[in-house]
Amino acid sequence: MRGFERFKLVAALGALVVLAGCGGGGSTGGSGLGSGPLLVGVIAPFTGADAALGPAYYAACLAAAPSINNNGGVGGRQVSCQKFDTRGEPADAVPAANAMIAGNSNLMAVIGCTSDEASTVVPIIDRAHIPMFCMTGQTEFNKTTSKYFHRLVPADIYDAYAMVGSALYGPGHAPYKRAALVFGNDIGSQAFVAPATNAFTKLGGTIAINQPINLTPGTSYQTEVAAMLATHPDVILTEALGAAGTYLKEVKTQNGGQMIPFIGTSATIDPTWFQQVRDAIGVDDLVKYYGGVDLGYTFSGPAYDEFQTNLNAAASTFADAPKYKQRGSTLHLYDGIIMTALAMTETNSADPTVYNPKIKEIANGSSGATVVGTYKDGVAAIKAGKSIQFVGAGGLNSFDAYNNSVSGYIWVTYDSQGNEVKAGQMTPQQTATIAQAGGI
Amino acid sequence: MSLFVAAFGFGLVSMSVIAIAAVGFTMQFGITNMINLAYGEVMISSAYVAYYMNRAGVSIWIGMVAGALFGAAFSFLLNRVVYAPFMRKGTANLGMVIVSLAVSLMISNLLLPIVGYYSVSYQEDAGRLIRLGSIILTRDQIIVIGIAVVLMFAIHALLTYTRLGKAMRATAANPTLARNCGIPTQRVIDSVWLITGALCGLAGVVAALNADSFAIANGSAFLITILAAAVLGGAGQPYGAMIGAVLIGLITELSAAAWSPEYKEVVAFGILVIVMVLRPQGLLAKRGALAAAG
Repeated sequence: MRGFERFKLVAALGALVVLAGCGGGGSTGGSGLGSGPLLVGVIAPFTGADAALGPAYYAACLAAAPSINNNGGVGGRQVSCQKFDTRGEPADAVPAANAMIAGNSNLMAVIGCTSDEASTVVPIIDRAHIPMFCMTGQTEFNKTTSKYFHRLVPADIYDAYAMVGSALYGPGHAPYKRAALVFGNDIGSQAFVAPATNAFTKLGGTIAINQPINLTPGTSYQTEVAAMLATHPDVILTEALGAAGTYLKEVKTQNGGQMIPFIGTSATIDPTWFQQVRDAIGVDDLVKYYGGVDLGYTFSGPAYDEFQTNLNAAASTFADAPKYKQRGSTLHLYDGIIMTALAMTETNSADPTVYNPKIKEIANGSSGATVVGTYKDGVAAIKAGKSIQFVGAGGLNSFDAYNNSVSGYIWVTYDSQGNEVKAGQMTPQQTATIAQAGGI
Repeated sequence: MSLFVAAFGFGLVSMSVIAIAAVGFTMQFGITNMINLAYGEVMISSAYVAYYMNRAGVSIWIGMVAGALFGAAFSFLLNRVVYAPFMRKGTANLGMVIVSLAVSLMISNLLLPIVGYYSVSYQEDAGRLIRLGSIILTRDQIIVIGIAVVLMFAIHALLTYTRLGKAMRATAANPTLARNCGIPTQRVIDSVWLITGALCGLAGVVAALNADSFAIANGSAFLITILAAAVLGGAGQPYGAMIGAVLIGLITELSAAAWSPEYKEVVAFGILVIVMVLRPQGLLAKRGALAAAG
């Protein structure tokens, strides 16, 4: 081979090596964890009517990152968090998701993807083969074909049934017979209406009014509240994030200073929601008339303690972070990120096609698996050659064939400081009755 | 039927809030030829000034005055520091709209880390309910209606009977001719920014009070309604803005009583579109900005 020909061959091979190095971004083709920082994308509404959602998820990431980074990172790689604002609008979510993927080849996981934008961003993230943990309750994901989709909370339909259960069987009141459904007219909020209506009416209740309300900031709800009060409901079932304070204050005003009991979805267990409603109707009425539903959390144990420590430390980056110490979605997404990091460690791979299936194995565990609650313990067990099951700050996860994890509900209230207080729990019989009435 | 009467009462409150804001906005445009898209953000900034005073224990009514003063000062500075230099350089109207849009975004993004993303409420007892048949209003709502009525008469008196008002109308009609006639147009324009800024600030506090709780995102939402009322009445026409406010305020509430409330703004803006198709210049515009209504 002449010298020039040899030079061309070497140059071509060199170019191939360089291109191979560029391809796949941060992934390493299934062997080795690679190097450089890793990123968790938080894609959620940070502005708009549902702006209260994004910060809860961002806080989860800020707490999870030090849990990983302070214990050696993912094979030495440090994890950081970045917000991608969808404004709660599908149209804004698509460019946000595309920008997130195109601009960050080191994405290890994505969290957020609420009902506002999940339908549009999940396919995009799935095509990019990035594991995601979505806070959507939409039924379309009950049997999703997206392999990289994970849901650590039950579908909205279960949230709706738990609300109906609270209305019919909840502690401290006779069964409510006439319910007003006051939900925002966004996709996420409207998902509760049909299952709640089915279950409540089939169990003898009456829907006094179904009122989808416009969540545009600055809207006043005087006429809406007058129409609702004219139907004389004895309870309001609601999720109208962003508008709750305005609506409920109007209820109190037009009802002569008297509140009507109101039951909120699990999304109303949120410090921002608490503050907004407390400021609007007063803490006494909030504590007295509010009932909510939530997944059963212990808020204790080593996993939770580490979560809370890291969440408090995250205040230096995000001052409101410590407020999310009892926010279910914050706990779950924190767990999701740590499970992803453990899956990468166990597979010794930064290639999502390799570590994604391992997330489910780590969550569900296998016979004889060592139960761990922190990243540090998980890595130690993996290095000791053990298989692990991760039971984190949010408790046990149990993914089904579609990566949906379902667990039981409790009924809750708030204390005057905004802490969640368990008020009761649906019995298996009550759960079965409501689910049957609702059509499951 | 009683629901419609109640909705009419709420419509009176809504139209009062919109009128205060829309008259300020349309006067700003009519006299300075500036479509100020940052108007909604100045409103919400003023609402927050009143909020922080209210939280410090000051009555919301004093906070409202402070909000108006803040709006006046903020708008005056906005014009002097940002808009006027661009105008002096001969920036086209479309360019000025973009500048104001940029200012709007800057204000909201600068405010966000200060006030947070969550909703807040004034600590104000709305007072006892006052019933007039099926119309149920709080003391505060009646005060808001009263403030709007007084302000509308005051604006009418200003434009009709005072030297400043006449100078404003002259400046609006032909600034060069007005200047040549000895009218100190720069001082007139400064006065316009102060007066309309005060209306803007006052409207922000009143709107926040009426909505019970408010957040940073309210600024842009306010602007859409204000634009609608101003355009419906005839751009640059204070009396037109008053009529636009009446129509938008009443239609919004009455349609919420008649149909699903989620469509109330759709109905109001649908009517706006129809009116614009039939009378593109708006309901009152005939002989230019701030000219006598036709």
